[in-house]
Amino acid sequence: MKKRMLILEDGNYFKGYGFGSDKETIGEVVFNTGMTGYQESITDHSYNGQLLTFTYPLIGNAGINRDDHESVFPTTKAVIVKSFARRPSNWRSQMNLDEFLKEKEIPGLTGVDTRRLTKVIREHGAMKAILTDETEDIETLLERLRNTELDHDQVAQVSTTRPYVSPDKGKKVVVIDFGLKHSILNELNKRACHVTVMPYDTKAETILNLDPDGVMLTNGPGDPTDLPEVLNMIKEIQQKVPVFGICLGHQLIALANGAKTYKMNFGHRGFNHPVKEIATGKIAFTSQNHGYAVEAASIDPAFLRVTHTEINDGTVEGLRHRVHPVFSVQYHPDAAPGPHDAEDLFDQFTELMDSWKGGNLDA
Amino acid sequence: MQKTQEIEVINEVAIKRALTRITYEIIEKNKGIEQLVLLGVKTRGVFLAQRIAQRIEQLEGKKIEIGELDISNYRDDQKNNTERTVSTPEVTTSTEGKQVVIVDDVLFTGRTIRAGLDAVIDSGRPKKIYLAVLIDRGHRELPIRADFVGKNIPTANDELIQVSLKEIDGKDAVSIVKPTQ
Repeated sequence: MKKRMLILEDGNYFKGYGFGSDKETIGEVVFNTGMTGYQESITDHSYNGQLLTFTYPLIGNAGINRDDHESVFPTTKAVIVKSFARRPSNWRSQMNLDEFLKEKEIPGLTGVDTRRLTKVIREHGAMKAILTDETEDIETLLERLRNTELDHDQVAQVSTTRPYVSPDKGKKVVVIDFGLKHSILNELNKRACHVTVMPYDTKAETILNLDPDGVMLTNGPGDPTDLPEVLNMIKEIQQKVPVFGICLGHQLIALANGAKTYKMNFGHRGFNHPVKEIATGKIAFTSQNHGYAVEAASIDPAFLRVTHTEINDGTVEGLRHRVHPVFSVQYHPDAAPGPHDAEDLFDQFTELMDSWKGGNLDA
Repeated sequence: MQKTQEIEVINEVAIKRALTRITYEIIEKNKGIEQLVLLGVKTRGVFLAQRIAQRIEQLEGKKIEIGELDISNYRDDQKNNTERTVSTPEVTTSTEGKQVVIVDDVLFTGRTIRAGLDAVIDSGRPKKIYLAVLIDRGHRELPIRADFVGKNIPTANDELIQVSLKEIDGKDAVSIVKPTQ
């Protein structure tokens, strides 16, 4: 295998061996603490532009199957592991991780001390990194890395360009695609929702003309403040229809209602994040993937209420609008991968659409 | 004896979710929890009121008053109330000038609530009275509606809605009991 290395913006470097594609790549290096679910994570558009490190030491044991993809063309920039399984063992497996990454043109790096890498990220925050061959000297590479500006149009890269429909006979739900995971459509279809997926830059008028029972804002990559036009759309539709936001959608709802977001030091990426529902005191273990969060102090209590918080660091994980039929969560009730504790939020969404139709909320 | 068939329509998680939503709606509609009193209609309404009060306390950090509403003296659908316990106060807390939320498990003909309204009004003059129910099953016989509904369940007249709560029934569930031929 080819010797390759990962160089971080702060000068730390990690030598290893390349697998997957041979491309050179620059992006933000982040870590995911999940023991399983690498296929779903690699194909999750929320990792767009990121070099994804798995802290679990052996990745790829169950190979890659045809069912668990969360997108058709994954846009994760690179996969970094301690070691990967060359010979997977699972009845659904169709290829190993190496073959999959070659096919999707994603470079991989193996043989890296992911524990040290994770510690560096935890201390210094998620930062730019370059994955390349060991040809140039580190100083020149660092220079090049520091001069590279990361993309700000990540949502535009992953959102669908044309509307499409995932039909069923129930409620009409418009899904605004900021980089959606297929499991979101799956959950909505499971509840018999007729889903229309629209590009991220769809105007409020176009959405309302479809006369939906509810609108869902999906997960997605990048900084929510890169999408100012979307905020106006949200401000308009939230007065007319029930809105449910997940992940990036949650952050956008917060921004549209006057709150602020900030970049977290190293984010929440993993499947064991305990989240407390304040009203009931109940704790759910959730699947999370976010590098930005809503600033609790910036929330105007006249408009929004915090409904969920993370136990470990108190991050805002759920919001509810006090006037309009809007609620959102920072984590992934669609799981995939991860625990299904929070699945009933989709039921909450269908119930909200029901009661909105029934006119129970005459606010 | 007539045979019946029992179908569970709402499970524990859905009850939890419905009560949480009702809690938010009460706070939002009332614009806060000032002067708020929850009155649970005996028996299951009392437990539902307690659960809602618990949620309000967790959300707002303040305890609110809850009382019990005993309507047995006010019913118009029972022929002879032989066991009237005249000494029981019908409303266990003061409602004068308060925002009262009557909490019950099932809204059906509306007669229970009519009786509840009489009991509340006899005990003082609340500023406002709301009605919160876990289930609205339709078939009203009086002009009464709920302000907060957990779930609408359309039913036939000869069906029965059975609400079970952990506090007395050992489990949380709502079932429809249907007569079978």
